[in-house]
Amino acid sequence: MTKTYLFLLLLFITVSSVAQKFTISGSITSKTKGETVIGASVRAGKATAISNEYGFYSITLEKGQYKLEVGAVSFQVNTQQIVLDKDIVLNISLVDESKELDAVTVKSSSTRRSLGSTQMGVEKLTTKEIKNIPVLLGERDILKTVQLLPGIKSAGDGNSGFYVRGGAADQNLILLDEAPVYNASHLLGFFSTFNSDAIKDITMYKAGMPAQYGGRLSSVLDIKMNDGNIKDYNVSGGIGLISAKLNVEGPLQNEKSSFLITGRRTYVDMFLKLSKDSTVNSNKLYFYDLNAKANYILGKKDRLYLSGYFGHDQLGVGETFGLGWGNGTATARWNHIFSNKFFSNTSLIFSNYNYKITIRSGANDFDIFSQIRDWNLKEELQWYLNDKHSVRFGINSIYHTIRPGEVTASSSSSINSSYLQKRYSWENAAFVSDTWKTSDKINVTYGARLTAFSILGNGDFYTIDANGKVIDTTTYKNGDFVKTYFNVEPRAAVSYQYSNTASFKASYVRNIQNLHLLSNSTSSSPTDKWVASTNIIKPEISDQVSIGWYKDLHDRAYELTIEAYYKTMQNQVDYRDGADLFNNSNAIESQLLFGKGRAYGIEWLLKKRAGKFTGWLSYTLSKTERKIDGINNNQWYNAKQDRTHDIAIVGSYQLNKKWVISANWIYYTGSAVTFPAGKYQVGGQTVYYYTERNGYRMPAYHRLDLGATLQLKERKHWSHELTFSLYNAYGRENAYTIEFRDNKDDPSKTEAYQVALFKFIPSISYNFKF
Amino acid sequence: MSNFKPTGLIILIAGSFFFASCEKVINVDLNNAAKKYVIEGIVSDKAGQSKVLLSTTKNFDENNSFVGVSGASVTVTDNLGNVTTFMETATGIYSAPALVAISGKTYSLNVVANGNTFTAVSTMPQKMIIDTVFASDELLFGSATKLVNYAYQDPIGKGNGLRFVEYINGLQVKTIFLRDDDYTDGNYVQSKLWYMADDNDDKFKIKQGDKVDVDIFCISPDVYKYWFSLEQSATGASQSASPANPVSNIKGGGGALGYFSAQTYQTKSFIVP
Repeated sequence: MTKTYLFLLLLFITVSSVAQKFTISGSITSKTKGETVIGASVRAGKATAISNEYGFYSITLEKGQYKLEVGAVSFQVNTQQIVLDKDIVLNISLVDESKELDAVTVKSSSTRRSLGSTQMGVEKLTTKEIKNIPVLLGERDILKTVQLLPGIKSAGDGNSGFYVRGGAADQNLILLDEAPVYNASHLLGFFSTFNSDAIKDITMYKAGMPAQYGGRLSSVLDIKMNDGNIKDYNVSGGIGLISAKLNVEGPLQNEKSSFLITGRRTYVDMFLKLSKDSTVNSNKLYFYDLNAKANYILGKKDRLYLSGYFGHDQLGVGETFGLGWGNGTATARWNHIFSNKFFSNTSLIFSNYNYKITIRSGANDFDIFSQIRDWNLKEELQWYLNDKHSVRFGINSIYHTIRPGEVTASSSSSINSSYLQKRYSWENAAFVSDTWKTSDKINVTYGARLTAFSILGNGDFYTIDANGKVIDTTTYKNGDFVKTYFNVEPRAAVSYQYSNTASFKASYVRNIQNLHLLSNSTSSSPTDKWVASTNIIKPEISDQVSIGWYKDLHDRAYELTIEAYYKTMQNQVDYRDGADLFNNSNAIESQLLFGKGRAYGIEWLLKKRAGKFTGWLSYTLSKTERKIDGINNNQWYNAKQDRTHDIAIVGSYQLNKKWVISANWIYYTGSAVTFPAGKYQVGGQTVYYYTERNGYRMPAYHRLDLGATLQLKERKHWSHELTFSLYNAYGRENAYTIEFRDNKDDPSKTEAYQVALFKFIPSISYNFKF
Repeated sequence: MSNFKPTGLIILIAGSFFFASCEKVINVDLNNAAKKYVIEGIVSDKAGQSKVLLSTTKNFDENNSFVGVSGASVTVTDNLGNVTTFMETATGIYSAPALVAISGKTYSLNVVANGNTFTAVSTMPQKMIIDTVFASDELLFGSATKLVNYAYQDPIGKGNGLRFVEYINGLQVKTIFLRDDDYTDGNYVQSKLWYMADDNDDKFKIKQGDKVDVDIFCISPDVYKYWFSLEQSATGASQSASPANPVSNIKGGGGALGYFSAQTYQTKSFIVP
């Protein structure tokens, strides 16, 4: 069926091109470092092309003379005259904007967003753009910065977890150089695993996900690492309040190959060691991460990238308790240009997440280990067929191995060693999409993603009754197919650019998710469990329609975006009351309930990109609900991430050559929470009575952050700066939790109390580059 | 298996390492719900311990005193058909001082209060003997804390649960202490009654010379589930993503809170040396 579809599509496309046309293609790089530039716009006449994730572009035009204009965020516009009477390969280097002092005042006419593109629900950031935003404890953090954009909500104060358009935290596909990252946070959520020094480009898709992405319901966060300076050696680094980092990059062979190594480590634990008290200095708390990349230009048509990430957190209380966790990813990619219209990328990807708990308390002497590991092969082809059509298609095959929990105990331990069954699954997908320029005004993208998720043996699979009791067990052998779920995910989008400065867009997307994160806590925890779909846990399905209006204002100094969406979700997972996710049973389904969700909202974003003052104003009005059989009397209830209003104001101002000042202000409605409707005595203590799920609200959250960056005196090959931030500048005590207890002095009374985490957190960090 | 609670840990980490975190008592405007019956029913292998407490829920802003429901009819029937009637000895407290329950027998509770009939069934588990109870030092986040240790032989076969109640100088520690054998089946188990005493609440810190009493109850799996779910989601602490009423084994009457447990009893006490 797929083949027929593809064939018809190609036939149709080929027939529609006749006139004499030529193609300009090539790659776009930065002049200083040789880094490929993602998402640069290439304009010639009325045609526009956008460079792909490897900097490649291809544009087909009728024979003639053109003014070619190439621009990208934080680069100067490159303009040249070309005569097109044959196919040409034109590689373009862009000059860094910051090299030119006046650049900040330059109207970035060519870096503007593409109103004609069919892609909507997309947010792009470069690390340069987020550089001046004030941050918690001086750690620049891309995951916290994306939370300032509409439709993306923070999982909590100072937390790097996020919710997109009513989705849960595990419904975001987070990719680092194409490798899925299963736990994107350090220190139980306070910092993300992404060291912004190593990051080149961040693209967040909230809607209309392109067909090459799949596997999660609510968003795709595609993060690309820097390739490494191919022209010269660079060392940069920084020292902040809690961590130090260093970045080294340079050519391996000039203009042919390069490398990049970036490391970061926290040093709070160094302070602990200073304590003379052995109960303090034996505690551990640190994380580190390491990004490494090498890339080789193998010839005019081939390029090889090798990249890897490794991060680890360690938490320890004396000798008694230890918890270590971390991600590791590795990606090998091979770009091949078959022709000036045909680009191919082949990726082999490895991804791993594991944690290990260590308990050494007398007879309780044991370790708990859990892991999720993927091997992933992806082949993607981009075919810039003609001036009307560009097609993307490919395949993806992932083999998942999940080790849900393995207890290893010493022989003298009270605990028995036990190993939960390993779970194996094989996820296959094929995708195709065509972007069709039907006229000067209307562009259409249509395509589909077909997925087949196979659950493989060996192992026991269960039949469970309505009360969660196992009533039957089926045992499968090695290599047996337990079940395969087939799904079609249609993707469609249309844009209508009715004037030079405005367009309408609409899209529909279906997403399927076969890996589910089980978490029984309010915040993200390293021990949250990933489970694959089983015979009982069905693939999650979401369908989203969205419409948007895009308008450039005031001679393109401002961009206004308004988007509205409606999303439904099926086969959502929740827990039974009293669920024990740590139990020693293979039948995890016995702890679960299933239901559906819906989310809708409107998002406004007004952005100023150029000039001395830059920043944005974002407002989201939204609603998110769940309906799960067995919860809240089977009625709809507000999901915990339901927040009616969400506002962010972000601004930075270049005072002079030395100083940049910045501020942001955030306001959102408190999350939906469950509070008691009464209380009673049981077992000699006060406990609480609940009537409805999430029927209350936490207090509204708001906070102001201030920041300033001072550029210190520059020398020829040396630049350095000081960054100051003040997090929560007016000291608002935002409730992190609200709990209930007996009054300490008068136990006949009960009281509610809140815990707030961060209040006036100043920080200073020093960054250098040579 | 003790539970890992990230929220507590997060606040602790933020507090101790980022010099942040502050706590204050606040006013929360809570809606009042219709009253619900609460039944705490126990039959024990020790004479005098079998009793049923019958009360209703209270509004959050009322005091914590126990307001019993009077005039109910309370009976317990064993699997041989022997009926014991519980007599009201104080308002809402129904006792059967002579009843001695036997391991392996199944008991059925029947409560009729103001026309509502509640029923529950519980099977008395085998008794496991706790052979040592003592206090020892534990180093936790920079301070040495004394905790109670215990040890017992778990019989082979899963489903043996324990509940402990700890008293320091006669004052009950407000923590639900539970133990099951999911990970320790058939072993000689040594463990501790873990809890964190509030920094400024000395009453709940074990010191030299304190008298410590520990009541130990062997409970059936459904009663273990009740206490486990109560501890997870109804104690007012918000480590659980979704507070909810515990999973009760009481049926009928439009639903009641609480549990019915046929359980064994023993008690240990010592003076901290």
